[in-house]
Amino acid sequence: MNIFQTLRILGALLVHLSGALLIPIAFSLYFEDGAWLSFVYAAALTLTVGLVLFKGCRSKNTDLGIREGFAVVTLGWTFFALFGSLPYLFSGAIPFPVDALFETMSGFTTTGATILTSIETLPPSILFWRAMTHWLGGMGIIVLSLAILPMLGVGGMQMFKAEVPGPTADRLRPRIQDTAKLLWGVYVTLTAAETILLMFGGMSFFDAICHAFATLATGGFSTRDASIGAYNSAYIDWVVTFFMFAAGVNFSLHFYALRGRIRGYFRNEEFRFYLSITVGAVALLMFLNHGSVYTSFLDNLRYSAFQAASILTTTGFGTADYELWPVLGQYILVTLMFVGGCAGSTGGGMKVVRIMMLFKYAHVQVFRLIHPRAVRLVKLGGNPVDREVVQAILGFFALFMGIFLVASFLMAAVGMDLISAGASVIATLSNIGPGLGSVGPVDNYQHVPALGKCILTFCMLMGRLELFTVLVLFFPSFWRK
Amino acid sequence: MKILVVGGGQVGHFLCERLSTEGHEVVLIDRSGDRLKDIEDRLNILGIHGNGASAEVLEQAGIKSVDIFIAVTDMDEINIMACLIAREYKIKTLVARVKSIEYSGESAVLSKEKLGIDLLINPDDAVADEIVKIACRTGSFDVAEFVEGQIQFIGYRIAPDSPLCDLTLKELGDLHGMYRFIVTAISRKGQTIIPRGDDTIQAGDSIFIFAHQQDLPAIQYLLRQEQSKQRRHPRAFILGGGSIGLRIADQLEKMGFEVRLVERDLQRCEALAAKLKRTIILQTEGTDIRTLIDEGVKEAEVFIAVTDNDETNILSSLLCKKYGAKRTLALINQPEFLQLAPDLGIDACISPRLAAAGAILKYVRRGEVISMAAVEGSDAEVIEFQVKKGSRGEGIQLKDLNFPSGAIIGAIVREGGYEIPSGESRLKSGDRVVVFALPKALPKVEGFFPR
Repeated sequence: MNIFQTLRILGALLVHLSGALLIPIAFSLYFEDGAWLSFVYAAALTLTVGLVLFKGCRSKNTDLGIREGFAVVTLGWTFFALFGSLPYLFSGAIPFPVDALFETMSGFTTTGATILTSIETLPPSILFWRAMTHWLGGMGIIVLSLAILPMLGVGGMQMFKAEVPGPTADRLRPRIQDTAKLLWGVYVTLTAAETILLMFGGMSFFDAICHAFATLATGGFSTRDASIGAYNSAYIDWVVTFFMFAAGVNFSLHFYALRGRIRGYFRNEEFRFYLSITVGAVALLMFLNHGSVYTSFLDNLRYSAFQAASILTTTGFGTADYELWPVLGQYILVTLMFVGGCAGSTGGGMKVVRIMMLFKYAHVQVFRLIHPRAVRLVKLGGNPVDREVVQAILGFFALFMGIFLVASFLMAAVGMDLISAGASVIATLSNIGPGLGSVGPVDNYQHVPALGKCILTFCMLMGRLELFTVLVLFFPSFWRK
Repeated sequence: MKILVVGGGQVGHFLCERLSTEGHEVVLIDRSGDRLKDIEDRLNILGIHGNGASAEVLEQAGIKSVDIFIAVTDMDEINIMACLIAREYKIKTLVARVKSIEYSGESAVLSKEKLGIDLLINPDDAVADEIVKIACRTGSFDVAEFVEGQIQFIGYRIAPDSPLCDLTLKELGDLHGMYRFIVTAISRKGQTIIPRGDDTIQAGDSIFIFAHQQDLPAIQYLLRQEQSKQRRHPRAFILGGGSIGLRIADQLEKMGFEVRLVERDLQRCEALAAKLKRTIILQTEGTDIRTLIDEGVKEAEVFIAVTDNDETNILSSLLCKKYGAKRTLALINQPEFLQLAPDLGIDACISPRLAAAGAILKYVRRGEVISMAAVEGSDAEVIEFQVKKGSRGEGIQLKDLNFPSGAIIGAIVREGGYEIPSGESRLKSGDRVVVFALPKALPKVEGFFPR
């Protein structure tokens, strides 16, 4: 473990973060909300620490291995959450460090769980920073899941590799930097498109860009207490629904589509499965909500589709209080919470492709009982998937469920009721935001005890970084030479 | 015609045999002096000892006056090289045998057009395609299609309990009524007979009939080959996951068969599982009958044995037949074993060399011949001809026609329809006729329908 080199890279990342911290100042000065000084202090402190780490930590050994990769990713997200929380503290928007850290981690992991009770009274520049943590987190996740995690041997993209044959198809360009730039281009394009479309719907530029940031990152922070529901516009609902769905799709598919290969979507097995889950869930919800909750078909479609897309893609915006829906409908949404978006998207959860592979693996197991001598492989997109990858998925599933159980137990121990304990964990572990019970779509996390907030903060980090990346740091042998 | 064959292996040997008996001037080049001498002793050909990919040897074989050049050694590289050299001598027709897929697959980098070779033939593919055709025709052991599939030439074995036993062809003619078909040949104890009206069909015979595709279900019913009702997804077992087995499985799978492929090598199984979609791949021996029964070989419509080993193919076919597989097809490499099929009760034995040679013969005869099939168990061939203006047979009733003995017209196809001929039928110019002919009669038939 090359600690000095790791710290040096983290220092460089902090220098970049200090630059990002300066952007909300423009909004602060425009809206004259008086919060600009807290951003200046935060940026200065971040820059200083960053430069000290970058310049101070020099080591002759510049080798970077897999272990350094894990450390940079996990510590990078943690450092961002720590330093990103400074504006909240300096401006007094969130006075307690645990709350500020929870809010920032929720931002950078694109979760969208909030401890804020009255959002609309906060300075606009702080709200913009909140949305921006989402957007930066989403950017980090795209390059992480499409480029860095496959290198480290973790994550859903190994499967994407198996699905797209050919040496270069999985990575769009040979160099990670170039791949990242292409995908960020897609990300920025989609964000700009949504901003413009939302402004057509009557939103101000400020509201539009904040919501676009939160949508594309599948975050869920809104500038309104009532989330998207505050606008009460069918047009805005549909625009956000569409972009939430798009943000849950593998970004390399968007890249190919922008290059004119629209059919690439439907050739991708994971996308087809993702689409059918979405359509199936919306249809079921509409069936359950029909008559009892919504009388008009269009209203039913609009609200069912929005909540389904919001939960499945792990965004967490709300236009309806689904806790008032039939229990079966809530159950469907909880199921979707575990699924999440596609691999290579900004969505969280276990990822569609993993769920798909679990089903396929189960099918093969049953098949082998009927045909003991048969040789059958788990395939994705017609190509066989390596046995190691299947094992990694099984391991991931077991670990995910294990962490879910342990964390729910701890949440119950700090005093949450049964449903809220489970829901708060899955809502943070899958990076969704709103859950059920006392952390439902119209509630927030303010009332959770401090220890509980720490546990949930850690859940967000683990869920975002595909569990293994974080947990590996807790193995003593990881730190030994 | 002067024909130069490079490579005296199984395909080469068979080609030399067929082409020389048909009266062509055949020169064979082979690297093995012993093998060459052996073939020269038996066949009426000229043998040249040497490397077929050497210009010197080819010159020695008189390549300058050759019409057709056929390279069928075991080595792809030599075959292609030889054809490339032969191309320089402006030979009309070049044929090469290639095994590796890079030359002959659809995504081939080197296509036959680029190489300037007229026909690239892959024996494995040829035999796989033939097996698939036979497997799809219930009850038959040999199938060829003519006139774009409208006319089918099909071989059936006559079992002792067949209703056709001891019927004369005349009686059969009264029986089949509106469904027209013509029995062109009877294969009895290794002899091929072109039957007349008073010949009888006996148990153990193989009969070859011509019929229109649409009439086949009715005819199969008549012949009682159609047993019970057929499953919607007939089950097929394939033994041997080599390239032949893979190709057969792939094609049957697409035709809606429920395919089980048996292969003993685990790694090969995994490679097959990666390539095939719905086929169930079983990792076991072909003689592991317990597993095969568990997997439902009893209800199998067809069992196809295509391992490299003739004995395994024959034995496993017999075993599965005993345990209830309706039909068994076996791949047989050694020509000596081919005659065993009817005696043992295997429904069809298919030889890669026959399949490859058949495809080559069909190709080199193109022009006056449109389509051609070699008939298993006999030396006879089925050929499609075009009746040109001024042909001898034009306008005469078939019964008055002095058609070469040892040959029979099985079907006449003319604009807008076809005819399974009777004695009153007349030939017109522009007609296409499908002729069944013994090899002796072949040159006469070819003379009957000149270019």
